[in-house]
Amino acid sequence: MNKQEFLARLRRGLSGIPQDDIEERIIFYSEMIDDRMEEGVSETEAVRSIGTVDEVVSQILTDMPLTRLVKEKNKPGRSMRAWEIVLLVLGFPVWLPLLIAAFAVILAAYIVGWSAVVSLWAVEASFWAAALGGAVSAAALAVRGGGLRGIAMLSVCFCCAGLSIFLFFGCKAVTKGILRLTKWAALRFKSMFVGREAA
Amino acid sequence: MDIQMKRGLLDVCVLAAIKSKDSYGYQIMKDMKPYLELSESTLYTILKRLETANLLTVRTAEHGGRLRKYYHITGAGLKRIEDFKDEWKEILSIYRFVTKGDDGNE
Repeated sequence: MNKQEFLARLRRGLSGIPQDDIEERIIFYSEMIDDRMEEGVSETEAVRSIGTVDEVVSQILTDMPLTRLVKEKNKPGRSMRAWEIVLLVLGFPVWLPLLIAAFAVILAAYIVGWSAVVSLWAVEASFWAAALGGAVSAAALAVRGGGLRGIAMLSVCFCCAGLSIFLFFGCKAVTKGILRLTKWAALRFKSMFVGREAA
Repeated sequence: MDIQMKRGLLDVCVLAAIKSKDSYGYQIMKDMKPYLELSESTLYTILKRLETANLLTVRTAEHGGRLRKYYHITGAGLKRIEDFKDEWKEILSIYRFVTKGDDGNE
């Protein structure tokens, strides 16, 4: 890919963020490519070392606050036609509940995800508590001469401890996963605001 | 590294890169590379943030038949570096407290 192509694609990918911001970034990347070429790197190589357009766009979106994207989207670009306003007002009883419902569903799904994480950690904690309790009762049984029952209790205690160690890694992985999912969803959501060329 | 801490470090590093003389984007990246690897979009965000905070100023100058942006540190920018040095002394003493007794068996 040559420089012009890269910058054109970047511009398309960023359409939706404030216009002056796009211009400034294009100038910035253009200069970066020129400076690399000045060192004797070929144009293609210079463009490649910047990264793919998709990577650059998602990096920029990650750094950009959502409020800026929303503000740009809601800027009065063109006046609405009369029938659009009428439709918007008349359709209000229909689209508002639908919008609220959609948000509620997404929120509920998110809460369910976290609840699963919380309950996993609760199971982990209870295994741990059982191991501790088992150790205490095994000691008590040993003191009172419980013999076999004490040994049985001790083995239960070890089982619980082992399970809790196993589960700990699982819990950690799930928590990390859902955090990553949150980040990814945020990026996806931001992407909804950019990338489509202004009509 | 913790994100907040890294952000602060990056700001100061970029300021340090233009401390002795004005510099431009690619040169700043090259100067920082041995210490902190950063992407173009991150550098852009930092430069923008520092400019908004009046820690540096930007001027456009001709270079080899094209335009290039040069970044110049302001008095406030220099002060930010000095503040960082003071903060670092504090962090170092905290570090000593945190690691106390790590290698010796006291």
